[in-house]
Amino acid sequence: MATSRLPPTALTLKQFIQRQKVLGLYRSMLRTIRRVPDAADRQFLQSWAREEFRRNRGATDQDAIRMMITQGNMHLQDLQKTLQLAG
Amino acid sequence: RRLLKQASVSVRFALWDRSWLSVMASRVLGRCVRSLSLSSVRLCLGGTAVRAAAAPLPSQRPFSLLSCSRKTRQVYQTEISSSVVQLCRRYGDQPPLTLGNIEDRVLYVLKLYDKVNPEQLTVTSHFIKDLGLDSLDQVEIIMAMEDEFGFEIPDVDAEKLMTPEDIVMYISDKKDVYE
Repeated sequence: MATSRLPPTALTLKQFIQRQKVLGLYRSMLRTIRRVPDAADRQFLQSWAREEFRRNRGATDQDAIRMMITQGNMHLQDLQKTLQLAG
Repeated sequence: RRLLKQASVSVRFALWDRSWLSVMASRVLGRCVRSLSLSSVRLCLGGTAVRAAAAPLPSQRPFSLLSCSRKTRQVYQTEISSSVVQLCRRYGDQPPLTLGNIEDRVLYVLKLYDKVNPEQLTVTSHFIKDLGLDSLDQVEIIMAMEDEFGFEIPDVDAEKLMTPEDIVMYISDKKDVYE
């Protein structure tokens, strides 16, 4: 009974939490971008975020993913600050 | 008090009649204010008279007059504010949501999404297993649904919505649509 009942491709807990973090970041990123007033800028930022997340979707190295999450959070904060300043 | 009731009835009547809404409501409100001030004066007079007859102490008289007028003023304020709230609510009008209506809109949004193949799309198809999307696409679809239906879906619920059917059920649940 030593074999795990989970499928071999199942994520470990750490990977799962990281995945949730990435998805949450993506969600709040899109939510923040939606508040950008100018339509052209909004379109640009949306495609930027999509490309950026999609380019790194295959990443498996946990440290690299953590760095990217931090970087994404910094971008998000920048964006939020700019939006607040803009009104 | 009868005047007050009459005034509130006429306010409601004016609210039913939409074409006269703005004109009638302002007139009726004006009338309501006037009649209420009249009735409050009458109530005050009656209250003081009754109090004075029951307990002829001169020190109690101003107290009862004060409390009486305060009460009527409160009633008048709440009446006005509630009618204003009703007035404002009439402006936001949308076509009624039905289950079929929601389903059409959900499928329409999905067809517009560039990675979904419209021929494969059915109500029960799973985004990841059947349509070959990934979790990032699923997030984007949920955001598109938020845009379409104009309300925010919290992250906890957004993760569970994996088929168009789920989305339809969730939205109808949130918008109180049962038919």
